[in-house]
Amino acid sequence: MKFIKSIIPLILAILVTIGWDNSWGTIPPFGKLLSPYHGFWINAEMAGSEEMSEEELNIPGLLKPVKIVYDEMAIPHIFAENDHDLFLAQGYVTAKDRLWQMEFQTHFAGGRISEIVGEKGLASDQFQRRMGSVYGAEQSFDGMKQDPQAKVALEAYSDGINAYIASLSERELPLEYKLLNYKPEPWTPIKSALFLKNMSFVLASGTDDLKMTNILRQYGREVAEDLFPNYPFEESPIIPSGTPVDFKPVPIPAAPKDFIGLGSAMQTPEKDPNIGSNNWAVSGNKTVSGMPILANDPHLTLSLPSIWYQVQLVAPGVNVYGSTMPGTPNVITGFNKNIAWGVTNVGSDVLDWYQVKFKDASKLEYWHDGQWKKTKLRIETFKIKGKKDFVDTVFFTHHGPVVYLSHEKAFKTNIPVGHALRWIAHEKSQELTTFYRLNRAKNYTDYAEALRYFSAPAQNFVFASNEGDIALWVNGKFPLKSKLQGKYLMDGTDAAADWKGFIPQAHNPHVKNPARGFVSSANQFSTDPSYPYYLGWQYAPSERGRRINERLSAMQKVTIDSLRGLQNDNFNIRARKLLPLLMRSVKSNNQALGVLKGWNLLNAPESIGATIFETWVLNLQAALWDDEFAADEKVPMNRPAIDRMIHLIEHEANARWWDNVKTKGQKETMDQIISASFQATVDTLVKHHGPMGPAWAWYKHKQTGVRHLIPGMDALSRLNIPIGGGGSIVNAATTKTGPSWRFIVELSKTGNPKAYGVYPGGQSGNPGSVHYDDLIDTWAKGELRPLLFLESANQSSSRIRKSITLSN
Amino acid sequence: MQSNTIRIIILIIVGALAGLYLPWYAMGIQAGVLAYLLKFPVKNSFSIGFISGLLLWGGSAWWLNFSNPSALPVRMATLLPLQGNVALLYVVTGLIGGILLGFWTMAGARLRQN
Repeated sequence: MKFIKSIIPLILAILVTIGWDNSWGTIPPFGKLLSPYHGFWINAEMAGSEEMSEEELNIPGLLKPVKIVYDEMAIPHIFAENDHDLFLAQGYVTAKDRLWQMEFQTHFAGGRISEIVGEKGLASDQFQRRMGSVYGAEQSFDGMKQDPQAKVALEAYSDGINAYIASLSERELPLEYKLLNYKPEPWTPIKSALFLKNMSFVLASGTDDLKMTNILRQYGREVAEDLFPNYPFEESPIIPSGTPVDFKPVPIPAAPKDFIGLGSAMQTPEKDPNIGSNNWAVSGNKTVSGMPILANDPHLTLSLPSIWYQVQLVAPGVNVYGSTMPGTPNVITGFNKNIAWGVTNVGSDVLDWYQVKFKDASKLEYWHDGQWKKTKLRIETFKIKGKKDFVDTVFFTHHGPVVYLSHEKAFKTNIPVGHALRWIAHEKSQELTTFYRLNRAKNYTDYAEALRYFSAPAQNFVFASNEGDIALWVNGKFPLKSKLQGKYLMDGTDAAADWKGFIPQAHNPHVKNPARGFVSSANQFSTDPSYPYYLGWQYAPSERGRRINERLSAMQKVTIDSLRGLQNDNFNIRARKLLPLLMRSVKSNNQALGVLKGWNLLNAPESIGATIFETWVLNLQAALWDDEFAADEKVPMNRPAIDRMIHLIEHEANARWWDNVKTKGQKETMDQIISASFQATVDTLVKHHGPMGPAWAWYKHKQTGVRHLIPGMDALSRLNIPIGGGGSIVNAATTKTGPSWRFIVELSKTGNPKAYGVYPGGQSGNPGSVHYDDLIDTWAKGELRPLLFLESANQSSSRIRKSITLSN
Repeated sequence: MQSNTIRIIILIIVGALAGLYLPWYAMGIQAGVLAYLLKFPVKNSFSIGFISGLLLWGGSAWWLNFSNPSALPVRMATLLPLQGNVALLYVVTGLIGGILLGFWTMAGARLRQN
């Protein structure tokens, strides 16, 4: 008894220790996390001093010493004596600032989140792998390794990351590892391929085929084609109309038989991302300096740590500056002494679904081209934190994986069940070779050669050189299709519906030095309908592209600063057309209507007119379409595009769609629907923000935020940022997406390009560093920072704060 | 003859050394070992450990943020959630240290008395 009594405190002490050493559900390990000697307290980083500091580090694997200098924004400038050391150092410094992000994003891409968060991550993980993310990365990794330079880059980059991981003690781990209570694993080169494949997931996995088939089944082909036209009423295509075609097109395959698939029904909610980008290059005859200026702002989900990481890479044969993506070697968008390049996404249709007919429940054979063919099986094993492994079998037809079997529930509403996926992201590819060559390109010929290696996600590569050239290639691997092939779900038994090869790369849409003196892209249609091949029926709305082209046509004496103004342009070109049309229908003396009448059509941060207009458009779309196109949540459909709605208001006031079919015995008119949606708009805004006043300011309503990668981590996010713009605005800042990296470069004959840039975040991924989010305010104000482009490691600059020498 | 003040000082100094070189829970275990070896009285043993832990953890946290200020404590005080109140975060940190050292000190003293 006495013994038991005396060991009770010991048992309590042990229980407390074990309890606080482990995480319980979402509760972090309090002991480890709060210990001032092990926990988050020591992740606080000293704010940089003005004093120059020097450091030497031993890194195994280096062939020669590497010098790295950091500027006042904590951007590393790496000077190496060979490619191998350059990429090893790039891996090392990127991991030093972004290790957790690199690993988390590749875990996500590889369908391994449940290893960190447990069972709740499984549905997302299974979706990733069923879509073939790991399969695609393996294919692409095979392709990349065939280029010896890319192989060196991948392996050295990986070695650099691992050198950093090996140098970390447990107490030095990045904050997120401490919060989620796990440790980094060694990096492998295939993770870089996974990261690049994930960009296809982000940018080229949009698919409306299922929703379009549901519309086809409900309303027939005529309505589907009328409401979902294959070219917008208003467009300003990327390749200007009339650009001569400099190739002889290959024959277009015959169209498959008309097919009306089964469609399907699902219930899970899904959000449409608002992702797009802008880029342009202005020729020297329109600029004050006489040299071309190039600008780019890719729009992605705004996140912390930032999706981009700036770096300057210098070695024999290369001196390039720009943004990299943590997880892959090379600069992705940037400039060197001679050229500059940037990217925006191409919204072509590179993902199709084939309805599969299996022979029996074993699913070992499927019907295609008049015979039973064998499926291939791929086993995926999921490690789940705190649970037994989960083993999943994925069935592949020759098209690709059957993402969900017909009895399963899909992870997203736009994914059909019982269909095989044909997707460009599953092809063997060599994207790294493109970036390696672009980093070293000296002129248009080098640029065009570099693009030949790029498959997916297809990008509009804008280009400018100090020889005076500007150009734009809509570039990637595009399936050779018959017109509209893959707009709807396709018949997996019909061989005529298969993809029949690819458009020759040299036939991809392109333009060099057009007469108008500029090239540009903003995710709109690549070409007008005269282009000989079919790329897709639906692209991003044309507003940003039309506004950019309108401004660039009008602008003369262009400077870096005037282009900075264009990147931050808040003009609402949609409202210019739509608002007067809407006003015709509203008879009211409402105060809100008065504000709209006086509105200057700018989505400025403080604008109240912008809040009313944008909310009205949303309400009107819902009032017009949702009775017919969102009637049954088990049969998801698309709404017709805004462009189609504007056409309806302008020319089809008596269309059947104006009537609300849910009100029996009543027939609504266009004017009634527009008026009612205006009243609903005012009511909603009053309900959310109170009576009209400063609380209705556009930025307060829109709530642009840069959020930490872990969902719900508001404490590590920046919310309610005062920035204007919107999805159809050149300054494309929405609630969760926006310009993720803005940069402008003016080239120079003497090899001294002037460059400016900013992104909504900072170089460091550590929430305890001043460089975690130090650029967000600059970004929100629409300002840019001058970028430091150094000639050599020994060049002196007042902006250099720290120097590190790495040696073996 | 040890006074409680001296016991507390010993626990804090050895605790800090354990914290610097060993895993976090070594700060608790050292208190148990010292209480056993130095024959801490059972009476007040929890309080002695608790005060040591409170001062060691809360004080070290305060010192770290004082000598190297950053936005991190505010962010963590928002996350945990303590409404972004860093003073409260020192207290919570101190309480965790206090309870840890308190139990271990009591455990060591009890075992010795047995």
